[in-house]
Amino acid sequence: MHIERNMPAEIKKLIPDNPRVLIQGATGKEALRAIPAMRSYGTTVVAGVTPGKGGQTVEGVPVFNTVREAIASEGSVNMVVQFVPPIRALTATEESLEAGIPFILIGAEKVPVHDALRMVKMARAKGALLIGPSSVGMIVPRKGLKLGMIGGDTPTRTFSEGSIAVLSKSGGMTSEIAHLLKKSGLGVSFAAGLGGERIPGTDLADALIILEEDPSTEASIIFGELGGVAEEHVARAVKEGAIKKPVVSFTVGEFVSLLPHAMPFGHTGAMLERGKGGVKEKRALLKEAGVLVAEKFDDIPKLLAGVL
Amino acid sequence: MNLYEFEGKELLKAGGVTVPRSSLLRGAEELPKSIPYPLFAKTQILSGGRMEAGGVVLAKESAALGEAVENFLGKTIKGWPVIGVLLEEKVAYESPEYFVSFTADPDTRRVLFSLSDKGGTGVEDRPVIKVPIDVDTPEFPDTPVPSDVLKRLFGVFTANDCILLEVNPLVQNAKSEEWVALDAKVVLDDSAFPRHPKWQYPERPSAPDHKVSPREVRAREIDRGDHRGTAGSTYLDLEGDIAMLPSGGGASLTAMDALNRLGGKPANYTEYSGNPTGEKVKQLVSVVVSKPGLSALWVVGAVANFTDINETLRGLIEGLRDARKELGLPIDYPVVIRRAGPRDTEAYAMLSEVKDFDLHVSGEETSIEESAKKIVALADAYRKKHAR
Repeated sequence: MHIERNMPAEIKKLIPDNPRVLIQGATGKEALRAIPAMRSYGTTVVAGVTPGKGGQTVEGVPVFNTVREAIASEGSVNMVVQFVPPIRALTATEESLEAGIPFILIGAEKVPVHDALRMVKMARAKGALLIGPSSVGMIVPRKGLKLGMIGGDTPTRTFSEGSIAVLSKSGGMTSEIAHLLKKSGLGVSFAAGLGGERIPGTDLADALIILEEDPSTEASIIFGELGGVAEEHVARAVKEGAIKKPVVSFTVGEFVSLLPHAMPFGHTGAMLERGKGGVKEKRALLKEAGVLVAEKFDDIPKLLAGVL
Repeated sequence: MNLYEFEGKELLKAGGVTVPRSSLLRGAEELPKSIPYPLFAKTQILSGGRMEAGGVVLAKESAALGEAVENFLGKTIKGWPVIGVLLEEKVAYESPEYFVSFTADPDTRRVLFSLSDKGGTGVEDRPVIKVPIDVDTPEFPDTPVPSDVLKRLFGVFTANDCILLEVNPLVQNAKSEEWVALDAKVVLDDSAFPRHPKWQYPERPSAPDHKVSPREVRAREIDRGDHRGTAGSTYLDLEGDIAMLPSGGGASLTAMDALNRLGGKPANYTEYSGNPTGEKVKQLVSVVVSKPGLSALWVVGAVANFTDINETLRGLIEGLRDARKELGLPIDYPVVIRRAGPRDTEAYAMLSEVKDFDLHVSGEETSIEESAKKIVALADAYRKKHAR
């Protein structure tokens, strides 16, 4: 199997010392809801961009027509969160990458696959980090950093500070896992919805490799689904020694194998192709590589307790 | 979306790739005279391996063709309905049969170009070419197939937002020396539909032997014309008696797995997510509970990030009441709800006032797993009581 990894991004790109955030698609409904929740959590939102809406102020954030204008006026930016429609995500991503921003989180679902291929190529060339498409957001409790809708308006309800990284193909399950950790007296060092798309900017293995350099992360939980190759990449990276910190995995979609024929389920990436990507196969691969495999969701804390 | 061979070939033709002269028969029309005999009659199904399954016939004259066409139409091959028969000229070639494909490849996150020569002898000595290339600036390795042919194929792949474009075989016409695509397998990217208004492809089955049920059709219609959130875009009738109304791609699979592990039998699979309107949830409820012989309904999701729990659960209750009133369904079975997230406090208060259904409500303090145990036990009790 031929694996091409994204350029190994340093941890400072994923978790900058001083995050300064720009919002693309700042005047849309979702952004208007997300911005106040991000700011009240402690995130520095320096500017918004919506072409044609420059000059406005939304939720206390100045809006500009272009990313370059925003930076020229408000100073440097090291993180972008996008709330733009799927069909415009590529143009918006290109604009931010061209402006030299090293991190972009793409919220839109249903971004065309060819657009995702172009984004990934450009980000690789620039050494930038993309999270998404279809990311619910990312959160770093110890820094009061929240990007996107993750955790909703009251993130402290589900996300408490701790030493476990949560990486998930599903937005809802990111919060569910964080809540399980909180209930078990544990907490989150970093959490992100990586999206369940066919071509993710950052996949589970990419994120785990970067988090090897995060002193706050002791272990990680990965949530995956049937289909795709993300779990296979993790198994390989663990085997190759690129991931050394303990990883607990929970992979769903077992029931699909009980159906007479494979059908598309859950997220876009959750599709069986030519007999590959079954949950049983994924679990076996992960186990063989040394990843701790949770058969049931409620088993996750027990497995973590064994490695902390 | 998977395309039929004739649809794929239309795209190839439009992109300057030569395909055999052909004509599509959908019914018992008069056989066309434009294609000389012998010609191929190829069943149009959404699956490969037609040749082995007897779905392709070489007809030498019109009587044999008529018989073959009559035999094919209305049939099912490998579980797929035959939606037409493609009549195609027989191309003479001496070149090997090449397999060429382009895939949007999750492994490399680039386009995977594959080419192999599967025909003829010495196949072991000829390497299979498998190279990732860029979607915008492709660089092809040297292959026995001329690069301008590959470029045209790749042009079709990019112009049509393909997930997969596979030509097997690609051959060189012995007379004209043109390269000809004898077959075409195309998978279009569903997310790219908004920028291809020309894609007016009719509905098609998503799996073999899959009869699209009326409930499935109704569920799929819910999202039409309203882009806030999604409800019912995937719906499948299953054998069991526990009606499922889960939220979120990941959580819905988590719930289905938990239920199966505990021996609960789901009556359906579906899902709503992304903060849909209460109206959409209401419509999906009426689809889900319309299945006969239910013993319980499970409304389950992860702690929501942005889905309005109050609005969606109001939709649930309205849907249940409508179904009782309009469909005359008793809905006296237990309804187990496990939901938390934005505006859930209001939702719980609203639900505590609902006395006309057997509701069992919990929030984040109960895990999806624990909720699964609850519904399996309640469904068992209901079944016993009603001696099912």
